[in-house]
Amino acid sequence: MAGAVKAPGVFAITPHKVSVCILVHSYASPSQISVPFPFSSVSQHSRLGLYLLALAKSCDDILEPKLDHLINQLREIDGLMDDWLTDHVTSRLSSLSSPDDLFNFFNELRETLGGPDSGVMDDDQVILDPNSNLGMFLRRCILAFNLLTFEGVCHLLTNIGIYCKEGISSSSYERRLDYSGNDLESLSEYENMDLNLVFKKINEEMEARKRATDQVTFHLHLPKDLSTLVEDVEVFADPKAEHNDKGRESSSYASGDLLRNVDPDNGVFLRTNWQIQGYLMEQADAIEKHGSSFTLNAFELTLRQLQKLAPEFHRVHFLRYLNNLYHDEYFSALENLHRYFDYSAGTEGFDFVPSAGCNDSGRFEIALLCLGMMQFHFGHPKKALEVLTEAVLVSQQHCNDTCLAYTLAAICNLLSEISFSTASGILGSPFSPMTNVGTSLSVQQQLFVLLKGSLKRAESLKLKQLIAANHLAMAKFDLTHVQRPLLSFGPKTSMKLRTCPIIVFKELRSGYHLISDFCCEGSTMTTDGAFSTAWLKNLQKPMGSLVMSQDSGSRNNSNPFLFFSQPISIPGSVLQLVGSSYLHRATAWEMYGSAPLARVNALVYATCFADASSSSDAALVHVKLIQHLAVFKGYKEAFAALKIAEEKFLCASKSRILILKLQLLHEHALHRGHLKLAQQACDELGVLASSVTAVDLELKTEASLRHSRTLLAAKQFRQAAAVAHSLFCMCYKFNLQVESATVLLLLAEIHMKSGNAVAGLPYALASLSYCQSFNLDLLRASATLTLAELWLSLGSNHTKTALTLLHGAFPMILGHGGLELCARAYITEAKCYLSDPSFSVSDNPELVLDPLRQAADELQALEYHELMAEAFYLMAIVYDKLGQLEQREEAASSFKNHVMALDHPHDVDDPILS
Amino acid sequence: MSSKESCRTELRTAIRQLSDRCLYSASKWAAEQLIGIEQDQAKFTPSNTRFQRGSSSIRRRFCTNEITSTPPTDVAYVSTPVMEEDDAIHGDFYLLAKSYFDCREYRRAAHVLRNQTGKKSVFLRCYALYLAGEKRKEEEMIELDGPLGKSDAINRELVSLERELSTLCKNNMIDPFGLYLYGLVLKEKGNENLACKILVESVNSYPWNWSAWSELQSLCTTLDILNGLNLSNHWMKEFFLASVYQELRMHNESLSKYENLQGTFTFSNYIQAQIAKAQYSIREFDQVEVIFEDLLRNDPYRVEDMDTYSNVLYTKEYFSALSYLAHRVIMTDKYRPESCCIIGNYYSLKGQHEKSVMYFRRALKLNKKYLSAWTLMGHEYVEMKNTPAAVDAYRRAVDINPRDYRAWYGLGQAYEMMGMPHYALHYFQKSVFFQPIDSRLWIAMAQCYESEQLHMLEEAIKCYKRAANCNDTEAIALHRLAELHRKLGHPEEAAFYYKKDLERMEAEEREGPNTVEALTFLATHYKTQKRFEEAEVYCTRLLDYTGPERETAKSLLRGMRIAQSGFPSMDVEHFHP
Repeated sequence: MAGAVKAPGVFAITPHKVSVCILVHSYASPSQISVPFPFSSVSQHSRLGLYLLALAKSCDDILEPKLDHLINQLREIDGLMDDWLTDHVTSRLSSLSSPDDLFNFFNELRETLGGPDSGVMDDDQVILDPNSNLGMFLRRCILAFNLLTFEGVCHLLTNIGIYCKEGISSSSYERRLDYSGNDLESLSEYENMDLNLVFKKINEEMEARKRATDQVTFHLHLPKDLSTLVEDVEVFADPKAEHNDKGRESSSYASGDLLRNVDPDNGVFLRTNWQIQGYLMEQADAIEKHGSSFTLNAFELTLRQLQKLAPEFHRVHFLRYLNNLYHDEYFSALENLHRYFDYSAGTEGFDFVPSAGCNDSGRFEIALLCLGMMQFHFGHPKKALEVLTEAVLVSQQHCNDTCLAYTLAAICNLLSEISFSTASGILGSPFSPMTNVGTSLSVQQQLFVLLKGSLKRAESLKLKQLIAANHLAMAKFDLTHVQRPLLSFGPKTSMKLRTCPIIVFKELRSGYHLISDFCCEGSTMTTDGAFSTAWLKNLQKPMGSLVMSQDSGSRNNSNPFLFFSQPISIPGSVLQLVGSSYLHRATAWEMYGSAPLARVNALVYATCFADASSSSDAALVHVKLIQHLAVFKGYKEAFAALKIAEEKFLCASKSRILILKLQLLHEHALHRGHLKLAQQACDELGVLASSVTAVDLELKTEASLRHSRTLLAAKQFRQAAAVAHSLFCMCYKFNLQVESATVLLLLAEIHMKSGNAVAGLPYALASLSYCQSFNLDLLRASATLTLAELWLSLGSNHTKTALTLLHGAFPMILGHGGLELCARAYITEAKCYLSDPSFSVSDNPELVLDPLRQAADELQALEYHELMAEAFYLMAIVYDKLGQLEQREEAASSFKNHVMALDHPHDVDDPILS
Repeated sequence: MSSKESCRTELRTAIRQLSDRCLYSASKWAAEQLIGIEQDQAKFTPSNTRFQRGSSSIRRRFCTNEITSTPPTDVAYVSTPVMEEDDAIHGDFYLLAKSYFDCREYRRAAHVLRNQTGKKSVFLRCYALYLAGEKRKEEEMIELDGPLGKSDAINRELVSLERELSTLCKNNMIDPFGLYLYGLVLKEKGNENLACKILVESVNSYPWNWSAWSELQSLCTTLDILNGLNLSNHWMKEFFLASVYQELRMHNESLSKYENLQGTFTFSNYIQAQIAKAQYSIREFDQVEVIFEDLLRNDPYRVEDMDTYSNVLYTKEYFSALSYLAHRVIMTDKYRPESCCIIGNYYSLKGQHEKSVMYFRRALKLNKKYLSAWTLMGHEYVEMKNTPAAVDAYRRAVDINPRDYRAWYGLGQAYEMMGMPHYALHYFQKSVFFQPIDSRLWIAMAQCYESEQLHMLEEAIKCYKRAANCNDTEAIALHRLAELHRKLGHPEEAAFYYKKDLERMEAEEREGPNTVEALTFLATHYKTQKRFEEAEVYCTRLLDYTGPERETAKSLLRGMRIAQSGFPSMDVEHFHP
């Protein structure tokens, strides 16, 4: 029923609290001596006091410990007192057999509390200050008890009975001598032990995560969703999350165990609204981070149970939605999303939202935002855009600026990811206030305007994470788009059609400010609850022995507050954002052509942000590093690294690792001349892409580029050119300009290889100009190399031009180029010299031989038979001219070997099979 | 073929056996059917037909297909099986237990029977325990209203009952009644497949226990489950099938079953009420009203199913009739969910939505799974402009029964009200999926598509077409179709639909702006098509109306004259009346 949910954080009296009350009572029993009866020393007494303090503070935890757990902890504390405390608690509990006993017990408790005017304290008497932590706890318990109806008292009594029975039956394990526990009992004991262990684990984990998620500013899941979206999709296409071993381990613990713990028959109590919120928040985080590593059904089962126990707790539906989302269950995800927002009206769990602007008409715009992102995730960009448009409208209507900012960011994300071919009819009327510059804007221009608007909005609302995410998006936009003035009139002379790396890095840098902001604030954000659980956790570890063994004199050293000090924490989502800015840097440097810088940034990410990163980001970094290895160190090492990565990440379909594997296989096969295998790998790559137009463009481009390459290697020039041509058309249509440069270069190569160098020249030049305007330095060097080759093949009178071009590109190629590029450059250089009529070999043989030897060395790692054969052939000719017959024979036989290997690629053993 | 006489004997025995086992609602049901069997003319005495006096001519009017033959079933039972009786001393214990049971002292009854081993005693003991557990559960549900709405109140007897009954079942020491109870327990425990099997076994060996049938019916949530049941033929099966079909929204199948059954059980109030409910679902409100009036005349203190009647009165806006009904039920039994629902309906009709919500809430407090109360409360919240609460209420209805198209429709409407047409579409789609024959749903969806934000006119046209195909009483669809086609520049289609709309308006003798619009369009259209004769007909008709259209018609006519004759005709004035 609407509004029937009680306020969160209702303090209910439970058997566990009763036993804590018993302990408090015996701690502060109104006796006349300073150290009450059972305690032999002040230290013992104080130790119990500390323990009780922790218990009282942790009474708002999700799970209450069962009796045997409590008993175990007590044993550690009162080891010297011959289990007096444990016996006291159990006997006291079991003596509560009628409601009247309970009434009397709580009356007694009241006596331990000092009156309000207990300023005059008798030195000898232990009286609890009603305003102290323990006093407050007692008062809350007494109040809660007094509020109970008689039926409630009866229920408490029954629950105490169950609680005792379980606790006693399980502690029989440790008292085998006293009780002859039968099989059944010991069995249940094992279960309970397991449970305790697990409880600890959960506690640890939750605490760690709680710290990470303490400072979410908006809808609890939105920033994460958004940021993963940003990171996952921004760099490369596939948002499918991977997972690592650690994630799998911890999450399986958590889900499996909650299941057992929440089972009402086990006597562990489901707690307040607030606590379950916490649990669910963590699970949401975990799902978003580790994606499909959660087993769909196990977690679903947990959630279903939770729902049964707390039917008014709607967040569960959201978790079910997330769970289904990350397991690609479209229909149930949709169903649960709708259900969640129907029930909660988007208002549940928005504890962090400032109440301003929140009217009671619900927050359905958030539902739209989520729905839009879901559609996007499932690859329905058109639908997603429609929904997001509606979200913009509704948030404007409800004046929900925060949601509007997020929605705009999501739209930007969508637009930058999914390239629409035409702008018409994509952004409807609601955007007119923002895009009123003119209707003739292209999608890119609209995107730019939106990005700017979204950034401004985020800044004015002080949504730090969104600002950072927007900066990243801006950087990405600047990386791949030439900025043009939006209005195209007036003098155009001052306009230079280039991307500006400085702006890109400025944007990236402004993303960092986020982390410093959080560093300052982080220390104040840890909550009280986290402290007490930390203390409880540490109880078993150093402090247990420390306090017990030392006398009261040195007790000051073991200041309990030492245990409270915790490392300053930065929310995981912030770390993720900052980390992804490193990823962006790596990508940017990759494009600009600085291999070392790209590698350094990737390494920084892999080492510093591995814990916070989502598994798909982690996979991406691995992919980058492995690609780097393949290009600079050859396939052997790359495959070895791939093997490690495959073990680390689940090789799900469409995962990045799988794509990388196919890429490597393709290149390797191409180099060795195993064209069938190459074609197979390339086909498989193509199949991974979604069939919807404009989705997975990255992958589609990649696949057809490789297809064309394979055809080229098979000397089917006409088909290769056709494929490349249609690819260029697609790139042009979807404005993929960086890719266009690559395709043009490929076209130039195809024409060159087909012997039509003249036709290749314009393509190479076009590619060069693309590279120039996007600052793609490495690609530019490689285009220059191709250009040199083209000139060279035009005839010997062009060698000078070729050589000049080549030498111009050499610094870039040798500094940043991969093995293949360097080798090609060397060989071309040698060829230039050789074809130069004015150059005589015998005068300066090393000028030719040295680059050739270098090339052969480098190609060895790549097993690039074709180029190697060429190098050896040239070498043989040189040696022949020099008259060094022995070396000539050697080179010739190497040449023969490589030609043979090229013809029979199957003889060599396969790296994947091994 | 079972004759009426054999039905009667079977039922008589069954009633005794059922009430012996304290299965009161089943025996009530059986007794109702017994009385419902038409009397033979030979035994026709005034006192016998007291219950049947209401067989008025009104009812006959609607029983168009009078069925003379009884349902086509093969009788698998020669007579009612004689259940074993316990011996005298044990019988005494039984009598005491039964008396306790009748005084609703269930635990006491169970205690008396603790050492009895007769099947009847065992059943009664188990049943008493079950009911005791249920009673406690209900109480606890109110006591343990946890902070999260958690109601982990369970029937604590279920576990031990299941253990005992399954042992009995294994040892084949169980009678059909025991099987029924076992099935009930299994269903509560969530073991639905086995529950189905056990219940089928129970009804196959003792078909007269309607409670068993209705439990089975609640388990048949899909047609596949129903078809998977292995039921022997008996006339009781017909009742079962009719009720399942109704639940599965196969209203026509259900109706024909009930009408068949009426051949034997001519005066059964139960069947009448069920027919009324089925008719209500296919929106035959007039018939429903007649049936319910008749029913109330025979059985004035009936509360069951009266909520449906109140819905009809609500739709027809019969204020006084609804208030009369509400008064009557509240005098009969105030604390029935149906009563609260009727009062809620009344207040809603009076426009007092807060009070209405209060009564629906009360109904829901009495029965948390009362589907129509959730939906109706949703409507009230919509009226009160409290959309989130409305959404919440509708969603609960949907979660109780996902096939409730009205609640899906309500959800869609609520979201549409909030200006989220795209989001609303999802719900409308759900709604039409479950009720594809309701034109209102299609129209609502079409309007959603038509909205300014979405502007997906092609889809809207598709929806309107569906609406037009399923008996669109308000005649919105045809007009909208014509307009949309005109807007999209499909003159042929537009003309087609305008014509249809016009025909329809003629048939219903309605006139209005739509008529004028249709006539104007058709006239212009045919003129541009150079089909002057038709154009002229429409123009002439337009002349009957006042307003600017008349002038248009005149000028059109003039233009046509010119085009036809080739020279300007000066006077059209004589067309002026």
